[in-house]
Amino acid sequence: MNIVRKVQESASGDLSILAKKTLQNLLRERITKLAFACLILILFTGAIGPLVAPYDYNEQQLTADGQLDRYSPPSADHLLGTNDRGEDVLSRLLVGARATLITGLLAGSLMLVLGLSIGVTAGYIGGQTESVLMRFVDFMYGIPFIPFAIVLITFFGAGFYTTIAIIGLVLWRFIARVIRSQVLQIKQRPYIMAAKASGASTPWIIRKHILPNIANMAALFFAMGVGLAILEQAGLSFIGVTDPFTPTWGIMIRNAHQSGRVADAWWWSFPPGIMISLTVLSLYLLGRGYEGTSGDDEVVV
Amino acid sequence: MSRLRYFAHRTAITVALIFLVASSLFVFFRLMPGDYSSLLVQQGMNADQIARLEAKWGLNAPLHEQYVRYITNLLTADAGQSFRHNAPVWDLVRPRIINSAILVFPAITATYIIGSLVGTVIGRYRGGLFEKSSIITVSVFHSIPDFFLGILLIAAFSQTINIFPTSGMLSTETAVMIGGEPFWHRFFLKEFWMHYALPFATITLYFMQYPALIMRNSVVEVSNQEFLHYHRLKGLPRPALLRKLMRHASLPVVTLYPISLASSISGLVLIEIVFNWPGIGRLLVDSVLARDFPVIQFVFLVAAVWVILGNFLVDLLYGVIDPRVSVGNDNNE
Repeated sequence: MNIVRKVQESASGDLSILAKKTLQNLLRERITKLAFACLILILFTGAIGPLVAPYDYNEQQLTADGQLDRYSPPSADHLLGTNDRGEDVLSRLLVGARATLITGLLAGSLMLVLGLSIGVTAGYIGGQTESVLMRFVDFMYGIPFIPFAIVLITFFGAGFYTTIAIIGLVLWRFIARVIRSQVLQIKQRPYIMAAKASGASTPWIIRKHILPNIANMAALFFAMGVGLAILEQAGLSFIGVTDPFTPTWGIMIRNAHQSGRVADAWWWSFPPGIMISLTVLSLYLLGRGYEGTSGDDEVVV
Repeated sequence: MSRLRYFAHRTAITVALIFLVASSLFVFFRLMPGDYSSLLVQQGMNADQIARLEAKWGLNAPLHEQYVRYITNLLTADAGQSFRHNAPVWDLVRPRIINSAILVFPAITATYIIGSLVGTVIGRYRGGLFEKSSIITVSVFHSIPDFFLGILLIAAFSQTINIFPTSGMLSTETAVMIGGEPFWHRFFLKEFWMHYALPFATITLYFMQYPALIMRNSVVEVSNQEFLHYHRLKGLPRPALLRKLMRHASLPVVTLYPISLASSISGLVLIEIVFNWPGIGRLLVDSVLARDFPVIQFVFLVAAVWVILGNFLVDLLYGVIDPRVSVGNDNNE
């Protein structure tokens, strides 16, 4: 049943129709609808966050009598209070949204491009090329990500784009593996055989038949990749090996934890933690929603 | 016969991978800016010590000889000398490996046992509010970054209601008191288990999602299979029926277990930092801050071997459980 639908879709070959249908299927469930709305809201925050931040994120706030306003709880002036250096937490959260989301989107795109090219090449070309590529993927799976990133950053120095590059260049591996096995199945379908028999070139078949068939899955992996990238970036920020001058959500949690006042200055560490969790959860629920509509197998990152 | 060949093939690949990682590390650490011996001088070693080290590691020899010596030294568990502690790297790392292992193995194992039971229950009561809310609960715990989950638990259980200690493995006084005893002595202390509880709970909650959801899917799938209807019609009592169901449904979870063990090393680094747990993850971060290169190099190798062995275990399990893997082809498709 599923296959029939996919054949029809690929025959129509129109990506925009496919995307619209997938979205419609997705939004039928209430919980995925909620996740989708949440995600749009978060992206919107990232887009306008730095513009609507009430204060400069690095500005040290002073109380009426000229003292540094440290650890002040949420109030009308500072909706999420201030931190150990007297900075406005809400402003840092809003500015951090953009940095965090850009990391997620860029690293997620890098993962998708690498995973897709290697997965499709290995799956479609086959033979010796496939063995070499998949051994390479095996090798990548042997890399423990966080330790690897720590060591690399020690050598090349911490930087905003360094973090993105390291995440993207390592974590594409799960995409390559699953896309390859998917392409292996699609390759066996009659219309591809027919296209081959009628003399279609490999790039043409990949563009017209393979890519439209894995477009849904690629979108799912992009969502999961973005979530994964945000989690890993937060982790690296927490360890303290990312650019310390970009106020990402992970760095906020790190500072709060290091001050040892997580529980009594809850307004400082909870908002960034909750934002990361919400973003990842929304992406994750969308992914599950997709699995529910397409009947595809569980994906393990 | 072909199963034997499959195992031999996977073993060869695993050994080759470990070798490849060790070699890459050699190249990487030799390519890095600065000469190795000038680094040693920076670390405050005198000429005599350096000469001895250079002789042992052949630092003046051509690169290929250095490489051979590096590999042979590694094979005898000699990973060099720590800059920071002026002690053999292996002596420094070994207790840390034990500390990490006693945290992560029981925690992941417990996750899988509890997770499978939760997944079975979810799978048996399908289509209701219970199913939806349980799935969302386990997903929420997996969406909270593991280190933040740890911080939340500390905030709740050690800073707000004062039950558990915030960090470390033992208090300093106790550590000094039992300093001379073998490492397993601490397992008899209540204090150790109090320190153990929160990191253990963090790992368990965070990783619960995989076994629970996969067990649920598997239970749903197996429930619809005919052999179960047959057993039910035959009049098999419910507990026995459930046991049969779970045995069949647990296959995917069993193969996922070593994958989680392998991949847990990354999360472990973060959890060890949050809880100040003296394992290899914290050793790595501390060594990075101190630029203690021999330790960094070796800890990274340990982490890589950990992951590779985990993946190897998966391959072996596949080979045992699913005969199709070892019969048809060698590529583990």
